Amino acid sequence: MSLRDFHMRHLRLVSAYWTRYAVRGGAGLVYLLLALFFGLMVAHLTLSPLEQKIRELSKTHGADEKQIVNELVETARPIVQWILDSKPQEDPAKPAPESYPTAGGGPMGPFTTSTPDAWTRYLLNERPALLSGIFLILLFGMPFIISVLGFNQTAGDIQSRGLRYLMLRTDRSNIYFGRFLGSVIFSTLVTAFLVATITLYVGLKFRIYSTGALTVWALIGFGAISILMLPYLAVCTAISASVSSPFLALAAAKLVIVGVPVAALVGKHSWEPIKNIKYLLPWGIQNYLLHPEWTHYLGAAAGCLGYTLVFLLLGYAWFQRRDL
Amino acid sequence: MVADAICIDGISKRFGRIQALQSVAFAVPAHSIFGLLGPNGAGKTTLFSIVANFLKADAGRVEVLETDARQASLLQGRLNILPQDAQFQRNVPILDQLVFFRELEGSSRAQARDEVRQTLKQVGLESYAKRRVGSLSHGMIKRLGIAQAFLGTPEVILLDEPTSGLDPANARQIRDLIKQLQARATIVVSSHNLAEIQELCDHVAILDHGKLVFAGSVDQINRADCEYQLTLSRALQPDEGQRITALDGIRQIKTAPAATTADAEGSCDYLVTFETAQDDRDLDASIAALLRALLDMEAVPRSLSRGRSLEKHFLEVTKSANHTENNPATPDNPPDTNTRP
Repeated sequence: MSLRDFHMRHLRLVSAYWTRYAVRGGAGLVYLLLALFFGLMVAHLTLSPLEQKIRELSKTHGADEKQIVNELVETARPIVQWILDSKPQEDPAKPAPESYPTAGGGPMGPFTTSTPDAWTRYLLNERPALLSGIFLILLFGMPFIISVLGFNQTAGDIQSRGLRYLMLRTDRSNIYFGRFLGSVIFSTLVTAFLVATITLYVGLKFRIYSTGALTVWALIGFGAISILMLPYLAVCTAISASVSSPFLALAAAKLVIVGVPVAALVGKHSWEPIKNIKYLLPWGIQNYLLHPEWTHYLGAAAGCLGYTLVFLLLGYAWFQRRDL
Repeated sequence: MVADAICIDGISKRFGRIQALQSVAFAVPAHSIFGLLGPNGAGKTTLFSIVANFLKADAGRVEVLETDARQASLLQGRLNILPQDAQFQRNVPILDQLVFFRELEGSSRAQARDEVRQTLKQVGLESYAKRRVGSLSHGMIKRLGIAQAFLGTPEVILLDEPTSGLDPANARQIRDLIKQLQARATIVVSSHNLAEIQELCDHVAILDHGKLVFAGSVDQINRADCEYQLTLSRALQPDEGQRITALDGIRQIKTAPAATTADAEGSCDYLVTFETAQDDRDLDASIAALLRALLDMEAVPRSLSRGRSLEKHFLEVTKSANHTENNPATPDNPPDTNTRP
């Protein structure tokens, strides 16, 4: 690829066209529905026990919403700690450490915590816990859904030869990166809508968090999910550019995104080092996008961008050379 | 202005065990309508795809408007193509797709809309501009493909079977459009319709089994060997044939290849070869003598035209290539020397 081939106007046109017609193309519509269904379902499952408890208590002797939330947070604490892959404190009554987790070389990866409970405390006590729980689940689940949006960026048009109408009008690089950019914009818009809807609901329904706290945390969560989608979309882009069948591209994207964490989880029981296979994708670092230390947050974000760049360039090297 | 719009030099392409193209080399003169011919599987579409940089050649080089075809996207708007079997996006309105193409070629949106509407009018699709491609018939989609190839002011247009699937009226309309465009563009047409190629093209290249078997002007084919095509009301008897070859200035008369003889009304086609050393006046005298002799024999000439048809030439060269491939020349099996110009 040379700078001469890269055409900013073309990139803008291709990405805008791709975003505009993502829904009509089918894949965008399916992604939109799946993402909204998953996100709202997660929100429902997280919030409905709380709503139910508030309803029950308000019938008898009035309900203190904050207290109920705190009780639920304590119930959820071990789960959050497990998700963050940190060890629970020996004595829950013991005051939390002052310092936040710092980078280290422990078994959990580059950002292994030295004070494991502090991160959980940050998410559940210092930030709106309801949103934190939802964001953590979305960070885990959204990568599985994103392949629905990303798998058909080029594979379908390679199969139908529709790409040939574009190839004399712009360089392959503009098609490849323009469509990736279009998918990113579409995915970001869906994430923004989802996070805004959930935040609005939490804010209106439970008046326990200030508007400022909710807004700031919603923005951070939105940023985390949006950044996390980049490497997974890039994997899909690379796969889509490498095969000529949309079905094969979808199957391969699903297999890679699901296969890596499953292989790491299952494989480590037979051979411990195999758990590191999760670093083939951002699975090992993605939770740090909700970390209290900005250095960790930036590290995770930079890691995601690094993965994105590597996957994109690998796919592009093949796309540039292949017969279309 | 460049002399040759397209220069193809030693192009080879292999798909697995199939050699699709083998050292193909020829040039397409600027502002010509160039026909690319060949039987099914000859490599025409593969060659088009390499010229447009859809496929990468294993060997050789293609230049379009003095630009390496591997950088074909740099020609933005100067080279357009009607690819074979390429599909438009089914759920997007025609207008939006074509406007997008023109925007990529540098037009503003408003300008692109005007240009697209004008081109759609040329191919009779102006009233379908806001329809989705999925709602169009096969013939309409073909015309849409042609419209996108004619969009803007391309200097070279590659048309892969532009009239296949069109009804006669629309096919005529497209042929007329191609002729009109010749003034400002070089057009390369691949087609199985040899009559169409003969009508449209001034130059042709014939591919067979991935090899170039002929490249030259249609006029060169027509004038080859000072041959005339003669259609008679009945077949000639052997002695009548001998009497004709005995006439001054006539070297040979032979039955045209059976595959190309239309005899629904009992007529018979012949190829008459005159002596090549004659000047025009002698040739006219020989033709007059031939016609008189035929009328005396009550074999009425229904048509007489100079040169072999492209169809006959095509069948001869492709048959020759197949014959040579299937039956290598040996002392017992000499090559057919009459089938190549």
